[in-house]
Amino acid sequence: MRRILPFLIVAVGLLALAFAVLPIDRPFSDPPRAMDTRLGLDLRGGLRGEYQVIATDDQPVTAEILATTRSIIEQRVNATGLSEPIVQTQGTNRISVEIPGVENVDQVRDLIGSTGRLDFVPVPADFSQSVTDGAPLPAGMDATPLFSGDEISVAQPAFSELGAPEVQFTLQENGARLFEDYTRANVGQRFAIVLDEVVVSAPVVETAIPGGQARISGNFTVEEMNNLVTVLKYGALPLEINEVGFSQVSATLGQSFLEQSLVAGAIGLALVCLFMLLHYRLPGAVAIVALIYYGIVMLALFRFIPVTLTLAGVAAAVLSIGMAVDANVLIFERTKEELRAGKTVSSAVEAGFNRAWTSIFDANVSSLITGAILYYFGSPIIKGFALVLILGVIVSMFTALTLSREILRWVVRQPWSRRAVFFGVREDEFTIAAPPLRGRSREAGARV
Amino acid sequence: MFDIIGRRRWFYIFSLLVTVPGLIAILLTFLPGARLGLQFSVDYTGGTIWEVHFAQGTPATADVRDVLVEQGLPDSSVAISTAGERQYVLIRTEEIGLQEQAPPTPPPSASPSGSPVPSGSPDPSASPAASASPSPSASPGASASPEPSPSPGSIVPTEGELGALASALQERFGPIDEVRQESSVGPVISQEVITGAILLIVLGSLGILLWMTFRFGDFRMGAVAIAALIHDVIVVLGIFAILGTLFGLQIDALFVTAMLTVIGFSVHDTIVVFDRVRENRIRHAGEPFAAIVNHSLLQTLGRSVNTSLVVLITLASLLLFGGDAIRSFIFALLIGIVSGTYSSIFNASALLVDWHEWSERRRQQAFVQSRAGG
Repeated sequence: MRRILPFLIVAVGLLALAFAVLPIDRPFSDPPRAMDTRLGLDLRGGLRGEYQVIATDDQPVTAEILATTRSIIEQRVNATGLSEPIVQTQGTNRISVEIPGVENVDQVRDLIGSTGRLDFVPVPADFSQSVTDGAPLPAGMDATPLFSGDEISVAQPAFSELGAPEVQFTLQENGARLFEDYTRANVGQRFAIVLDEVVVSAPVVETAIPGGQARISGNFTVEEMNNLVTVLKYGALPLEINEVGFSQVSATLGQSFLEQSLVAGAIGLALVCLFMLLHYRLPGAVAIVALIYYGIVMLALFRFIPVTLTLAGVAAAVLSIGMAVDANVLIFERTKEELRAGKTVSSAVEAGFNRAWTSIFDANVSSLITGAILYYFGSPIIKGFALVLILGVIVSMFTALTLSREILRWVVRQPWSRRAVFFGVREDEFTIAAPPLRGRSREAGARV
Repeated sequence: MFDIIGRRRWFYIFSLLVTVPGLIAILLTFLPGARLGLQFSVDYTGGTIWEVHFAQGTPATADVRDVLVEQGLPDSSVAISTAGERQYVLIRTEEIGLQEQAPPTPPPSASPSGSPVPSGSPDPSASPAASASPSPSASPGASASPEPSPSPGSIVPTEGELGALASALQERFGPIDEVRQESSVGPVISQEVITGAILLIVLGSLGILLWMTFRFGDFRMGAVAIAALIHDVIVVLGIFAILGTLFGLQIDALFVTAMLTVIGFSVHDTIVVFDRVRENRIRHAGEPFAAIVNHSLLQTLGRSVNTSLVVLITLASLLLFGGDAIRSFIFALLIGIVSGTYSSIFNASALLVDWHEWSERRRQQAFVQSRAGG
C-alpha cells in the first residue's frame, strides 16, 4: 500500500487535471456532450417557474398525471427552440421549469402556464367582426365548442407555394366529421381556435374541408406559426396548473454575480495561501500544494458529475476550502505540539497525522451527516449547496490524508528541510532525529 | 496558564449580553402591526421583486412609489441599485407576478363547456398519428383572418398586474430597456421555505447529537454541542433582527444556507475540542475534570483561531468584492463563524464542566445520603 499510494495520488491528480481542463466528451452520454462546468440560473441568467398541478374533486394528482403534465410542458418548451430547458417534477404535485438565457419572459410563461384547454368554437355571422386574436370571445357569444383539442392527431408547420408560413393539422375521425359538416355549411364564416378562453386564431373557412385535413394560412411570422403548432399539438394538460413561484435573472446580472464571486474567491484564496505560508512555513507550503490538488479534483468532479454551480454552491465551495485547510491546520498544529514535546521531526509528523485523524474524522463525518440530511430533504438551492459540501468534505479528507501526508513525509526526509524556522518553532524546541541512515543529516542533528 | 474554565461566568455573561437583546429583537418580529424584528425577504413572505432599467434616466424613488400607489400597491418599497455605471429601480411589492393574466373585459358569461378536461383519456399528442398521411396539395385551405396579432416580443411583461404596472411606469418614465431580475413567490412556496428551513435545522441537529453521543460515548457532549449551536443560531438571528429593525437588513433565501453552514462549523470546532478532552481524560486520568478541559482548550486554541481566521479571510474578501446579491448571506456567515468559534471555546466546554460538576455533586449527595440512611 505504501508503495502504491504515491502513484495513486499522481494518477488521480492527472486524471482530474485532464477532466478539469481538456475538452473531453462526457462518458456514457448519448448524444455526446462536452464536459463543461454547468452554471445555475443565478449565475448565467434565465428563468425558473414552479407550477402546481391542481387536483379536482374526482381526479387526484397521480404520479402518471404528473409525468404526463411534465412531458407536455417539456414538449411545449422544447418546441420553442430555447436551449437546454430543464423540466422536472418536484414532490407529488409540482413541476419546475428552468430555462437559461431567456429574455422574452411573457411568451414562455404563457406557453407553460396555460392549461391548454383548446376548443374549436364556431363564430356566428353577427360576431364575425368582433372576434379578435389574443382577446377572449366577445361577450354574449355562445362559446360551446364544436370539438376540443383532443381531436387533433397531428399538427405541423408548413409553407405555402409562396413560402408563407402555414399551420397544417389533421383531425381524428369524430372531429373530422364534425369539422366537415361545419365547414360545408359555413363557407365564408369564421371559426375560432380558443386556448384557455382566449382566441389564438380565427380563420375564415374558404371551402368545405372533408377528411379532417386542414391548413391555416395568414400573415404568420415563423414564430407565430411555431407557437400555434405547439398549441395545437400539445394543447391539453390533464389537469389545470397554477404558477406558484417565478424568478428571472438577466444574463448580465448573472454574469456580474459570477465575475464578482470568482474575483472575491481568488483574492480570498491568495490571502489564505499567504497566511498558511507565513504561519506554518514549510508545512504551509505543503498545504498550498494540497489545496491546489484539492481544487483540481473538485473542478474535475463538478464537470464530471455534473454539478450545477449556483451562488449557494459557491458558498459551499468556500466552506469546503475552509475545511480542507482545517484538516491541514489540525495536523500541523499537532505536529508543532509534538515537536515542542521533544519528538523528532519525522515522528512528530507521523504523530501529528495520527492524533489529528480522530478529530478530522469525527468533525467531517458530522458534516457529511448534515450534508446528507440537507441533500435529502432540502429544496433545489439547498441540494446544490449540500452536494458541493459533501464532495468537498470527502475530497478534503482524501487530500489531507494522502497527498499532504506523503509530501510531508518526503520533505522531512530531505536534509535541507530540517530547520526550526521551516516549521515555525523555536530553535530550542527543535529536535532532529538521529536519522536511521545517511551521515550528512546526522551533522544537522548534532546541533541539539 | 490561562484559566478559561475558571472564568467561565464572564464568558457566559458576554454571551448573554449578545443573545438577550438578540432574543428580544427576534420576539419583536411577532409584535403585530409594528414592522420590527426580523425583516424577511419575499422568499418567506411571498411577494414580487422587480428590478428594471429605464432607458431615459432613472426616476426618483418617490415618483415610482406614486405610480405604485396609483396601481393599488401602497405597501411597496422602491430602491435604487447601482451596478457599474447603470442605475436600476428595485421594486418590492406584494405578490403580483403570478396573477392570472386578467383580461381587461370579463370573460364570456356563457361557458356551458365548463366541464373539466376528460381525465382518463390518453393524451392525443402522445399517440402516434395513424391517420396522418398529410398530402398538403390535396387539403383545401382555410385562410386566416388578416388581423396582425400583437406579438409580445418585448422583454417587459404585458399581462397581468405586473404588465399593468409596467405600462403605467413606462407611460410616465419612458421605456424600460432591461429587466435585471424578476422574482415572484406565492404563499405555497414561502410557507414551504419556512417549514423546510426549520425542519432541516432540527433534523441536522438531531443527526449531530446522535453522532456525537455515539462517538464520544457521552450524551452530555452531544447535548452541549447542540446548546452551543443554538447559541450561534440565536446570535446570528438576533443580530439580523436588530439590524433589520434599525436598517432594514433582510433575511433572504440564502440565509438558511448560511445558517446551516454556521451550524456545521460550530459543531466542527466543538468536536475538535472534545476530541482533545477525550484524549486527555485517558492521559491525565485522575486530574480534575475542569483542569483537563482547560488544558484541552488551550491546546486546541491555536487550531480553532487559525481555522476561523482562514475562513474569515475568504469571507471578508467575498464581502468586500463579492457583490450585493450575496452580501447579506456572507454577513450572516461572518457573524456565525465568529460566534461558532466563541461558543465552542467559551461556552460548550464550560457547560460541559458545569454539567459534569453538577452530576458529581449529585452523586456525592446521593452517596452521603445513602451512608446517612444506611
